[in-house]
Amino acid sequence: MERVSAPRVRRLQLVSVLLLLAVWEATARAGWADPLFVPAPSAVARALGTIGGPALAALGDTLGKTAIAYVLSMVLGVAAGLAVGSIRLLREVLNPFVVALYGMPKILVLPWIVLLLGYGTAPAIFYGTLHGLFPVLVLVTGAVRDVDKTLVTVARAYGATTWQLYWKVLLPAIVPSVFAGMRLGIVFCLLGVLVVEMFAGIRGMGYVMGALANGFQAAELFAATALVSAASIAIVLALDHVSERLSHWRG
Amino acid sequence: MKVLAIRAAIVVALLGAWEIIGRTANPLLYVPPSAAVPALGRLLTRDSYPDLAEHLLLTLREILVAYALAIAAGLGCGFALGFNRLVGRAYGPILAALYAVPAVVWYPSLMLFFGLDAASKIAFGFLLGFFPVTLAVLAGIRQVDPHLVTVAKSYGAGPLTVFGRVVLPATLFTLVGGLRTGLALSVIGVIVGEILGSKRGMGALINHAYGLLRTADYVALVLVTLALIVGTDVVAGLVERKARAWSE
Repeated sequence: MERVSAPRVRRLQLVSVLLLLAVWEATARAGWADPLFVPAPSAVARALGTIGGPALAALGDTLGKTAIAYVLSMVLGVAAGLAVGSIRLLREVLNPFVVALYGMPKILVLPWIVLLLGYGTAPAIFYGTLHGLFPVLVLVTGAVRDVDKTLVTVARAYGATTWQLYWKVLLPAIVPSVFAGMRLGIVFCLLGVLVVEMFAGIRGMGYVMGALANGFQAAELFAATALVSAASIAIVLALDHVSERLSHWRG
Repeated sequence: MKVLAIRAAIVVALLGAWEIIGRTANPLLYVPPSAAVPALGRLLTRDSYPDLAEHLLLTLREILVAYALAIAAGLGCGFALGFNRLVGRAYGPILAALYAVPAVVWYPSLMLFFGLDAASKIAFGFLLGFFPVTLAVLAGIRQVDPHLVTVAKSYGAGPLTVFGRVVLPATLFTLVGGLRTGLALSVIGVIVGEILGSKRGMGALINHAYGLLRTADYVALVLVTLALIVGTDVVAGLVERKARAWSE
């Protein structure tokens, strides 16, 4: 296969995006698409201006809930993963339950969660945590299980306490899995929070987008969608950057 | 044996605790098993929701259409991106960036565009299933040994032969995994779509029961939907095993 230079790739990306926007704009202007459903990019850009302030506030609200859910799911996931992974009986007994809960579409229990916790912030944080928890739990459990047994034996033989064993042997071994879980978890947490906001929200971006869809405000809806997407991509890229830095530092 | 016994004990203890807490705290809210089982019976005998079969079939049909579209588009995009270096390097990162966005972000737009009926659920199920299929094709193609392709070509194999004899067998193992994940995500997409807003289908029934506080019926409907989901996954698992056995 032929070599592909980086500038050519960039050029193709830029041209494709511009072409897409141009065709889209032209389609909307020429009246081929109903502007009620397909607003022109220029209309979306204007809409971004009109919803700007309140939308940013709603985005802040959503991201705040996501941050709480994220911290909770990482702490719980790593702790539970360490426990389940390092205690053999626990792992053998609980594994099918964890796999089943991980695989089960959590949306089915959402109405019940809303019934128990009401509308608003609490169900969003709970449901977001539920989404972020399992990937980390499963990854950390696997990583702890696969820790080299000789390391553990040697540490024990040199008189390491249980605390030291977890802190000095197991914890460093699971760092890559924790990073992988953090990368997956943030998108899952945000997903969970947005779903609750759409289903039973009174604030936040999910609620705003649901309301815009119901009000047939397509331009504003597209603008809001672009805003959340951009925020999400930025967060994931930042996490990637941080974990790359840290893995360099780890050697 | 001991492990199985402990697992069984956990399940029994959970059900028992659920029964006791549900009865003493609030049977309407917590639906003890003794209330859920009769509700499931009423549902299956078409007593509580006589049109259950119709909704179940609609959901199943939405899933199948969404998944078929996801496979077609995913294979098409995956092979297009995988075989053309320039296209792959240009659009691959864009695809990866879009994958980093929680998919539910697109759902309000799809609902606005396709309406409250089946089309928006199919579109969302398609969107969710599309990514894993495409990414699996890309990952599979990366595993193809370029030397094998060169050797096959030098022995005069045409592009179709190379694809059928070298590329496809090498990618198949990764691909079937992606296809299975794609099905699971298409299923979730359709069901999330139905619960977030629909008039027909299992999600609509679940919302109906929940809205009227018919919680026992809600639990029964969730169990039936779960059976549907687990059923599709079991079928997918069997197909996956067959395909992997064939590819080896």
